[in-house]
Amino acid sequence: MEEEKRIGVYVCWCGTNIAKMVDVVDVAKEIGKLPNVVIAKDYKYMCSDPGQELIIKDIKEHNLDRVVVSACSPRIHELTFRKALQNAGLNPYMFEMANIREQVSWVHTDRGEATRKAKSLVAAAVNRITWHESLDKRTVDINPATMIIGGGIAGISAALEIGNSGRKIFLIEKENKLGGHLAGVDLTFPYMYSADQILKPLIKQVTNNPNIEVFLNTQIDEVFGYVGNFETKITPGDGKEVELKFGNVIVASGLKPYDPGGIENYGYGKLPNVITSLEFEQMLKKGKIVTKEGAEPKNVAIIHCVGSRNKDYHEYCSRICCMTALKFSNQLRSALPDTNIFECYADIRSFGKGCEEFYAQTSRKDIMFLMFDQKNDLPRIRKAETMDECDMLIEFNELLSGEDIEVPADMVVLMVALEAQENARDIAHAVGVSMCGNEFYIERHPKLDPVATTTDGVYVVGGCQSPKDIPDSISQARAAAARILATINIGQVEVEVTTAVVNEDICCGCQTCVNVCPYTAISFDEEKGVSVVNEVLCKGCGTCGSTCPTGAIRSRHFTDKQILSQIEGLMSTSIELQEV
Amino acid sequence: MAKEEKPKIKMAVYWGAACGGCCVSVLDVHEKLFDVVAAADLVFWPIALDIKYKDVEAMPDGDIDLTLYNGAVRNSENERLAKLLRQKSKILVAYGSCAHMGGIPGLANFSTREELFERIYDTTESTENPDNIRPQPEYKVPEGVLELPEFYNDVRTLNQVVDVDYYLPGCPPQTERLVEVFMAIVTGAELPSKGSVVGALDKSQCDECPREKSDKKLVKRFYRPFEIEDDGKTCFLEQGVICLGPATRGGCGVRCIEGNAPCRGCYGPPPDVPDPGAKMMSAIATMIDENDPEAIEKVIDTIDDPAGTFYRFSLPGSILRRKIT
Repeated sequence: MEEEKRIGVYVCWCGTNIAKMVDVVDVAKEIGKLPNVVIAKDYKYMCSDPGQELIIKDIKEHNLDRVVVSACSPRIHELTFRKALQNAGLNPYMFEMANIREQVSWVHTDRGEATRKAKSLVAAAVNRITWHESLDKRTVDINPATMIIGGGIAGISAALEIGNSGRKIFLIEKENKLGGHLAGVDLTFPYMYSADQILKPLIKQVTNNPNIEVFLNTQIDEVFGYVGNFETKITPGDGKEVELKFGNVIVASGLKPYDPGGIENYGYGKLPNVITSLEFEQMLKKGKIVTKEGAEPKNVAIIHCVGSRNKDYHEYCSRICCMTALKFSNQLRSALPDTNIFECYADIRSFGKGCEEFYAQTSRKDIMFLMFDQKNDLPRIRKAETMDECDMLIEFNELLSGEDIEVPADMVVLMVALEAQENARDIAHAVGVSMCGNEFYIERHPKLDPVATTTDGVYVVGGCQSPKDIPDSISQARAAAARILATINIGQVEVEVTTAVVNEDICCGCQTCVNVCPYTAISFDEEKGVSVVNEVLCKGCGTCGSTCPTGAIRSRHFTDKQILSQIEGLMSTSIELQEV
Repeated sequence: MAKEEKPKIKMAVYWGAACGGCCVSVLDVHEKLFDVVAAADLVFWPIALDIKYKDVEAMPDGDIDLTLYNGAVRNSENERLAKLLRQKSKILVAYGSCAHMGGIPGLANFSTREELFERIYDTTESTENPDNIRPQPEYKVPEGVLELPEFYNDVRTLNQVVDVDYYLPGCPPQTERLVEVFMAIVTGAELPSKGSVVGALDKSQCDECPREKSDKKLVKRFYRPFEIEDDGKTCFLEQGVICLGPATRGGCGVRCIEGNAPCRGCYGPPPDVPDPGAKMMSAIATMIDENDPEAIEKVIDTIDDPAGTFYRFSLPGSILRRKIT
């Protein structure tokens, strides 16, 4: 068990990034005294080619079997150094990184203390790596078909991108037609293109594309399998069950408008001429802006942020409503030149190409902009008296003037928030994606990997991820399509090797682990009476390992032994940790 | 059974901080006691034989072939004897839960010495101690100095004090397991590697448990055994009764469970589990059938005495070890 290990430790200066705050020479000197450490060096830039060459040379010359690099975050350079190990003929998992930049030099101001902490972290890494084991990469074949959930503009765009490249698409739509919310839109902001002219040709292309199979009136219950090899059973409108097999999934299930009935101030559902932005859009589409009584409204008020940006409703900004509201004002002004138009807003958020310009243009069209306090003082709408000569009165404190005002209105348009679909949780469960607190799907990385998810082969695009406008939804859809086409092109995909593994000699069959797995990778083998991990499905999240009361489940590369040794190393007093 | 010509082995049994149950479990060999006595000379056993500490001190080092040390190390006397017996014994076995992991006396590590003394010598309902007298290691009387062992702040396991060869778990160990281990030693069978747990299985209780179990371990509240009508056949955990079986080695013959009582963990954790209480708590956490933090809190509140439940036999030997004061 305690055979000799040959560890090489490299302490990076990162130019002055680390060296300025950490005495890297001293760290290397002290760590060099630890058992099993054969060599400990400091170097200006470990990630540079000469830095990597240094490691490779030492591995060969000193017969090292494990390497610790103490430098920046493993997020940045773990792969770099693993490759270096591989080039030197070592298994890439015989590597451990100690982060003394983000976790030390960048966040501390006392050089002595920082150096002490750096030593502890490196000592922890040295202790941990003693227990590292070689792990081998595995690959699986990719089924070139793709399933897309949702036939809105995002789903359609992705379907065309992949379908046009000659690959099979199963496009699943829960409604009886394609197009999603865009099908209900008249003109689009900020250039006032007709939504129909954008959408209808695309739908035609989808239905004419032999590679794209569309299933309407269809919902997804459960998806089995893993990247490259998924399968599901669907029951489209005609009631006949169909089995689909595919290698990747794009979730483009969109979002839904917020129901403003819950906001008492606005009287939606009680005052007939208070309508939602979607209902107003339908009026625009029909080309007829009239009150419930059939009259042309003399005063139209548009209220922003309905259900958005308020802790009682949704705290987030729904992102497209400001521009849609400005678009409404423009269309209203053209249709009803003499009508008074009031934009009652909290802030105007007109970011994005052409949008601020659109706001500026709109503001010159004799439209009254009135600001209210969205956090604490929502406007109140009430039925007007006969003498008021309007249908309703909107009362609030106008923030720019500081005055309490009453705005006359014959029609009030509520710019309703956008929220996650009713069945967001079901779809998340079916395909194995996580949701944020607002039930929007979580991307793998908010900056670096915005359409992939933590489940390989499953992508989230468009409104199901967060409220988005048309170009953003299309960009995401096409980004996911590019990712998928790339994996199809390679034909195989590498799967996680740091998976969980069950020791059948220890597993007692209590089945505590079976339901905790977010990737449905664990099942119970009745015959053997033990749990079994499907290693292709397993993502190595470690949930089962920490749940398992017997210690039978080991998370490879994150074993109890490795983690506890790391903690012991961190706490150890075996090296001189005091400032020198 | 040992053959006539074979020399008898020398055997000692000692109790540290213990209840006496372990010593009684040695007596529980019943008629097999004759086999034991035929094969072994009992050279030291305070519960049964009048042999003084000084007699043990007079023995040559390594003279005793086998010592079963039961009980935890709570005071200076326990420690002194643990060290003495280590020195005099070829094989030292931590016998029973207390020597193995700290056992029931180890729960005192949830308090400090001062808190314990305050309760015992002051606040106990039946105590009258107006002069606030506390036990002292030394007390001068006209005749000389009286000594009491020093009461330590920590309860320790045997291997936290001396090097231990084997662990024989249980509260108390099942006598059959003792006989097996004893016979292995007297017959000269090949012994397992030093540091092994003997007389217990690697697999945990569930493997031997006759109750029906499934993956449906979701509960809305936990119950103490008397709070529900046990159906007698479903896994205790699935009925909401906390059972430490999954995190406890088998080998006892699931006796508690056979008697319709959930496992309390006296056989200690399976191999490679350094902290059975933590393991069991994270397992239990997955069974709570609520998502709202407040609702989860309410379910957790139904766990009676969590520390004493999850660490009933294992506190000093766990990573947690004691309450930090």
